[in-house]
Amino acid sequence: MENLRQIHNRQKRALFFLLALLALGWGFSPWPTVFAGLILGVLFGLYNFWILTRRMERFDRNLAEGKKAPSLGSGLRFASGIAAAAIAVSLPETFNLIATVIGLMIPYLFLLAERIISQLKHPDPGGKER
Amino acid sequence: MGLLAAALAVGLGALGAGIGNGLIVSKTVEGIARQPEARGVLQTTMFIGVALVEALPIIAVVIAFIVMNR
Repeated sequence: MENLRQIHNRQKRALFFLLALLALGWGFSPWPTVFAGLILGVLFGLYNFWILTRRMERFDRNLAEGKKAPSLGSGLRFASGIAAAAIAVSLPETFNLIATVIGLMIPYLFLLAERIISQLKHPDPGGKER
Repeated sequence: MGLLAAALAVGLGALGAGIGNGLIVSKTVEGIARQPEARGVLQTTMFIGVALVEALPIIAVVIAFIVMNR
């Protein structure tokens, strides 16, 4: 199984590709507010992922050194979700609110799909022993 | 009524996430203590678990925020 950083880098690459497609949609489609909302949501979702990876690494490091385990930063992720919604609520002529919420969840869907595909491609050899 | 709905959404969402995250972290720490060489695999599994568990409360918080601002 890959480590945390590899998964995060692959997610980041896929999401930047998606962001490029969404930017094209924003520029050339007749629904710019929907695409702008999706872009906003994906950016905040990416930020959430980055926080989670960083916190996990710090958690692991502290655990290995025998220090007190830090928090996983759930509050910060909730706050960034609220920030995305707040921007979309305050600028309804620029960002579509529902698209923003959908965009916020896209990285999670990507992670789930990526892990399922990765598990199908490389089945865990130690899985049967557990 | 909107405030009550928001409070219920955030409270129940956070309760579920708290229980879920607590279970994930406790089992991961237990696993690392038993098998320190499996740390990388356990950490990755914990990362995926925590990310997926937290998706729903984030949605709950956002919905609560939207309900409050309506």
